[in-house]
Amino acid sequence: MADSAAEARIDQALVVRVRLGNDPRAFEQLVRRHQGMVRAQLRRLLHGDHAAADDLAQEAFVLAWRKLDQFRGEARFSTWLYRITYACFLQVYRKKSWPVGDDDDSETEPQPAPTQAIDLRIDLERAMQRLSTSEQTVLLHCVQLGLSHEEAAYVLAMPLGTVKTHATRGKAKLKKMLSAWHDVDEEQTP
Amino acid sequence: MNHSDDDEIEALLRKQFDGAVPDDGFADRVMQQLPPRRRRAAWPLLAGILAGIAACWLSLLSTPLLHAGWQNWISGELSASAITLMAVVAGMSLLACWWTTMEAEDH
Repeated sequence: MADSAAEARIDQALVVRVRLGNDPRAFEQLVRRHQGMVRAQLRRLLHGDHAAADDLAQEAFVLAWRKLDQFRGEARFSTWLYRITYACFLQVYRKKSWPVGDDDDSETEPQPAPTQAIDLRIDLERAMQRLSTSEQTVLLHCVQLGLSHEEAAYVLAMPLGTVKTHATRGKAKLKKMLSAWHDVDEEQTP
Repeated sequence: MNHSDDDEIEALLRKQFDGAVPDDGFADRVMQQLPPRRRRAAWPLLAGILAGIAACWLSLLSTPLLHAGWQNWISGELSASAITLMAVVAGMSLLACWWTTMEAEDH
């Protein structure tokens, strides 16, 4: 928590240097500090299309450079950046469609019992793809990127209640779809 | 669904996430693409403030309220117009203090 506050203060200081001193090196530091997670966010959103994710990440950073005067510090810089990135993604996503999970709630039957040869990671990936797009997006931001529900609501421009609902529902569906793994674990426990 | 199930699923999701992507020259590519930054001009804000003050002054010039309030204030008489004038001045001062504090915090 203290680390995260210290990181936020460093970001804030770099933003001030860019805004007042028009210092591109300060912005370069911001890019270096955040590019990893922004690109990871886009790679997940674009289902592993690394080239498209990097193009979009570049676009997001250029937009952040242009809009830096609008950053008032209400949210952490990283959260603000995720919001810009997600907005860039949505713009492209509306024009072009990537293969994503459909939004219907019917596909939650447990997967066939996995054999030991099948990795849990693969099953989890498959199960994630069977969630609705909103559930996948909320779980990505809340769990994998480590944002709070409030921060995820800000990034995704969704009401807080909707974010909480998608998170709870998504986790419940994953649990149901991966229940076979749970059974195998219990059988193996002496 | 209880908390331990939630934690289990969250732990699995975190484990499955590859995490931050290594830079591999990405930051340099971004820096080459940046357009020159345009400084926001201060004159529109300044012109707006001056125009606002002038408009207020002109609209209040024709009313006796301002003049009477000012005269009463100077002579130490607490009439309704003097109190109104004091309240307006105090309100504007507080607003200016608040704005200055917010700007100082931002920088």
